[in-house]
Amino acid sequence: MSFLGYKDIIEEGDLILAYLNRDTMKPIVINATETLNTRFGSFSHLSMIGKKYGTQIASDKGYGYIHLLQPTAELWTLSLPHRTQIVYTPDSSYITQRLGITSGSRVIEAGTGSASFSHSLARTVSDKGKLFTFEFHKPRFEEAKREFEEHGILGVPVTINHRDVCNDGFEIEDVELNATAIFLDLPSPWTAIPNLPKVISSDERVGICCFSPCIEQVDLTIKALQEHGWTSIEMVEIQGRRWEAKQVMVREADDAIERLKDVKRRKLEGIEKKRKYYSDNGIKKEDLVPENTDAETEEQKSQRMKLLEDEQEKTKVSKTEFNPFGRGLRIKEGEEGYSWVKVSKNEGEIKSHTSYLTFAYKQPAFVKK
Amino acid sequence: MSEEPQYSIPTVIQHGLHAIIRMPSEAKKIITLEKGKSINLGKFGIFDIDEIIGYPYGQTFEVLDNHKVRAIGATIYDTIDPAGDNEQEEGAEEAEATPAPESANATPIPETLSEKIDYLKKLDVQSSSDNRNIVDIGTAQSLSMEDIEELKKTASGANVGEAIIDKLIKSHETFHQKTKQSQEKYLRRKQQKFLRRFTVEYVSSSNLLQYFIEKDASKVLDMSLQSMGMLLTLGNIQPGGRYLVVDETGGLIVAAMLERMQGRGEIMVLHENEHPNHSVLTHTDYPQAMLDRMVKSINILQFFEPEEERVQFQEYTPEQLKELKSNKRTHYYRRKQNAEQINAVIDNAVSGNFHAAILATTLHLNTFLPKLIPSLGGSRPIVAYSQFKEPLVSLQIQSLSDLNLLAPTLQESRCRPYQTIPGRLHPLMTMRGGGGFLYSALKVFPLEKVQAVGRTGVKKQKIVNGEAKVVGEKNKQKETTEI
Repeated sequence: MSFLGYKDIIEEGDLILAYLNRDTMKPIVINATETLNTRFGSFSHLSMIGKKYGTQIASDKGYGYIHLLQPTAELWTLSLPHRTQIVYTPDSSYITQRLGITSGSRVIEAGTGSASFSHSLARTVSDKGKLFTFEFHKPRFEEAKREFEEHGILGVPVTINHRDVCNDGFEIEDVELNATAIFLDLPSPWTAIPNLPKVISSDERVGICCFSPCIEQVDLTIKALQEHGWTSIEMVEIQGRRWEAKQVMVREADDAIERLKDVKRRKLEGIEKKRKYYSDNGIKKEDLVPENTDAETEEQKSQRMKLLEDEQEKTKVSKTEFNPFGRGLRIKEGEEGYSWVKVSKNEGEIKSHTSYLTFAYKQPAFVKK
Repeated sequence: MSEEPQYSIPTVIQHGLHAIIRMPSEAKKIITLEKGKSINLGKFGIFDIDEIIGYPYGQTFEVLDNHKVRAIGATIYDTIDPAGDNEQEEGAEEAEATPAPESANATPIPETLSEKIDYLKKLDVQSSSDNRNIVDIGTAQSLSMEDIEELKKTASGANVGEAIIDKLIKSHETFHQKTKQSQEKYLRRKQQKFLRRFTVEYVSSSNLLQYFIEKDASKVLDMSLQSMGMLLTLGNIQPGGRYLVVDETGGLIVAAMLERMQGRGEIMVLHENEHPNHSVLTHTDYPQAMLDRMVKSINILQFFEPEEERVQFQEYTPEQLKELKSNKRTHYYRRKQNAEQINAVIDNAVSGNFHAAILATTLHLNTFLPKLIPSLGGSRPIVAYSQFKEPLVSLQIQSLSDLNLLAPTLQESRCRPYQTIPGRLHPLMTMRGGGGFLYSALKVFPLEKVQAVGRTGVKKQKIVNGEAKVVGEKNKQKETTEI
């Protein structure tokens, strides 16, 4: 079981995630005769066997590197093939916590979709719990089933059914679902809600979360929940934000003033030097830069250019030492000799809306034990 | 691992356990279910604990006379108005206006729950399509506080609430001018105020957190429910794991982890005092034997300087033991057990290879976290919670150049609640601020001398102040650290 439990050493047959970068992770099953080809080079599986999970390895040719990770539901969410819009970690973690899903919980999920949340739920309910997931789209169902199988979670704890729960309900032959938590990610959850009473636990408080992108869906969902005896109905929206942290240079206004003063001082120094040069050599500026150079002979021009060079050489102002902000230098973020302030901002594009989460609860039947 | 005893959350209200009482006003109270004791819910009444024993957790009750209760459907009759709304209690002021008492016995008393629901449904009131005729002059409600007090005395037990609500509506001169939604909101507020109902819930980590957020959020480092959920998810918490935890929420995080682990695995609690602060755990019902088996605590001195902190214990020979007086012998065994325990925990910590580091601490993470990294297994998550963003920003910047950490990420999650009434859905005007931030990364083993091995980046040489300097070095290796 690669998604449940922990493993230290990579062995033949393990499912691992080859981490290329944040957006690229490749799930591979270790087979000593195979090689993983990536844009960072080729990596033979043989070179991975016996390594600790988390190890960074170099490609067979020695350049390009990848990390070998043990898959988790969260890493899977970042790397999985998107078949549908997926439930991201801020939503999935909140739903799990709010519905009180723990090891041993019996959870119904419909539909399975890209099976991102399924993996997270399977991890949390663990081998002691149950996840009954339903998908009405045949190709998606088959894809998800194959994934669960490859990931070692099919059967325990995941049961997947190809089913339209809105029309055909949730019952599974010879299985008492007895669910304690329900997650409905369906186009019309209100049509599935009437089918729930037969499959939910009557001994415990049962929680439901309906995941819908449109407010109109929420409206109909609430009405259906009310009608079927669900209480404490509340809709919320979860907004996850990632922050990028960096350092920016502290640029003091006083330093900017000082730098301007320095520029001015050196400018005056240049003028003064030039003035002195002219008087020392008994020449005028016009001698060096005449108004009309057309009449000039080649020899006159060459002499004048020589003089000009001499003038520039002797009136040169020394390069400034004062460069508080490292102008013209390629300063690395955080480089010593400058002061820095730590800042953060949101990522360039943020998910402003995933879906509305409508929660409700059903009381246990009034049976005194 | 699978041979370890299983634990499952209690589902039935039993003597000796704890429970959280949720009142119609959403106020919460944690109680111990002691035999023969009764609980005072203030204006919601008094009941005997024995009355609720044997019902499943999650059950709602109504307070009757003589400390009795009756199991009912829900605290609030939701089909009248399912929403939580946070508007001002305008009804309260209205209730204090001029008196116009009617005879108290005019109110029929429905017996069953469904009768009550029907009764509330059939209240003979009209509604308006808008609020054009509403003038807030504070006299619309003609029932006075004195009338209400009188009703409380004359109506019996559980029916007080309904009787009062009924009276309030009947004597509210402009009730029929309110819109349907407004009437519903009004009814809900009155239910919250007067219905003598309560729900008994299991003291789950979510319930505990909510209880402390309302009571004293600083005790739980201002952590929101969504931050706690994310902390557990990013930490990949599951049964059978061995986790390194620094928990300054009084043990709330430990409690939440235990809930996810269900009796299997181990939590190494790292703390900075003589003993860890696990005051929150006293409200939970994890069996002591399970806590002893699963929760180990170690202070940071023992953790970071294990060799000096191991207890050197001089064992006596059987002959020496025989010569000891019995009280000395007891003392010897106690000392021996203590030393063995400390040494076992130190050995455990030294063995490292933890499956996650979960940190909710005010210690400076930039120096603390690097010291913890060697104790973690490869490919394992490190998750740090802080109620402030700045310490995590600083940690994140530092992590970008730490090759032992992969994909450091800084994120937050906010929850925006809505007024949940069909046709009237909108975000609430106010919501809780704060709630904290989360840093997460994966511990990895970097390839040694990775820079020297391959062509790790393009290096450009440039003359700066007469010196050759490598500039614009792009380290492909750390590509993964961008966020």
